[in-house]
Amino acid sequence: MSDIPVIHGNSKRERYESLVAALYKDVYRYGLWLCRNQPLAEDLVQETFLRAWRSLDSLQSDKAAKAWLFTILRRENARLYERYRPELVDIEGQAIAESGDNEPDSKMDRELLHNAINRLESDYREPLLLQVIGGFSGKEIAEILELNSNTVMTRLFRARRKLKEEFNLNPDETGD
Amino acid sequence: MDELEFRQRVYSNPHDLDKDVLEAANNNPAYQNILKELQELDTKVGSLLNNVAVPAELAEKLLAIPDQTIAEAVAPGEVTPMASSKQNFFQYYAMAACLLLAVGVTFSLIYNGRPGDGGPTANELAFADEILAHLYVDVEEIDALNSGTFIDAVVTLSVVNEVMANAGTQLRNSNAMQALAIRSAKPCEILAAFQSAHLLVQGNMGAVSVIVINNSPVSAEYKIGDGRFTGVVVPMSEGNMILVGEINENLDLYKNLFADNVEWII
Repeated sequence: MSDIPVIHGNSKRERYESLVAALYKDVYRYGLWLCRNQPLAEDLVQETFLRAWRSLDSLQSDKAAKAWLFTILRRENARLYERYRPELVDIEGQAIAESGDNEPDSKMDRELLHNAINRLESDYREPLLLQVIGGFSGKEIAEILELNSNTVMTRLFRARRKLKEEFNLNPDETGD
Repeated sequence: MDELEFRQRVYSNPHDLDKDVLEAANNNPAYQNILKELQELDTKVGSLLNNVAVPAELAEKLLAIPDQTIAEAVAPGEVTPMASSKQNFFQYYAMAACLLLAVGVTFSLIYNGRPGDGGPTANELAFADEILAHLYVDVEEIDALNSGTFIDAVVTLSVVNEVMANAGTQLRNSNAMQALAIRSAKPCEILAAFQSAHLLVQGNMGAVSVIVINNSPVSAEYKIGDGRFTGVVVPMSEGNMILVGEINENLDLYKNLFADNVEWII
């Protein structure tokens, strides 16, 4: 289960500000890896929080806040993608630079892994992003993606299997 | 737990803390290795996905949203005054005039009318004629842009909006608009009684003209074109938006982008 953000405040404004403080970074990171275009990721996040502000009163439970925001962003991304296919900007340089670990082997590992993640089909990459960035359970991911739990677990399995194969960590028989 | 099930569980979630998974790992060194490798991989994946820097000003922008929505509710339709610019954005081109081009160019008009009706009206046909004629007045500029002459020239959004204001419109200051390569922006006159603005945007097949004009919106979207250009006339709330590109240009991308970002201020 994803961490429950602590959303303070009685007024709508206080609740909203608390929501931003608790979740905006994860929402941005998810958006960035989803659309792989930094200006558009910012647009998506702003649109997401605008919608969240407008319908904040409908958020009954703090527990649901993160999944709610990720769902809004995901739908906005799909909508944007249907209308306008932006050029995918390689965020590799940014991702590697942020690690603070510039040892050659580590950097090469990160490059390999970055490329492997980008090569994943979106059906496999999306659940992985939701699990690793969002910290969502299989059930929560299933709700966000509108899939059944078994399908989600299968896709996570396949995502990691592909990453492991590409990353060349003792490839093994895993079966399907 | 057999190996297949163990692998399926830990590959799906290397941090699966279910008792039966942990017990299976504890009782089998091979399983322990599998789990360890996957947890190591996941640590690297997590580090990569989660250590991307977040833009410093993003939180501030998000926290400003409530004030912005309140301000919009109080004064809808107001547009923040633009900084005046004295840039000579006519440097590369002349103001367009509504003239029929008489240099041996012949064109046939291709209409895709609305299903079930007789096609565009006579007025819409005439409007299409004017649009295409206007394109040919500017064809030298379009050809120059296509040849890469002005590949580095990008008109800023503030300058674009000064021109757009002539036609009673503005472009939203969104990141999508900021990222778009607008190569030129100028007022133009397709129909004598109405102001219009003509933008040239870098498309995939060449220049894409985006024209907004505050005449009466046409009754429904329709396509225009000839042997060289393909275009579409899109009705909007206070006027029309016309997009024209080279014959194989996919205009849907630009149509949707501008439809989302053009605001009428008249």
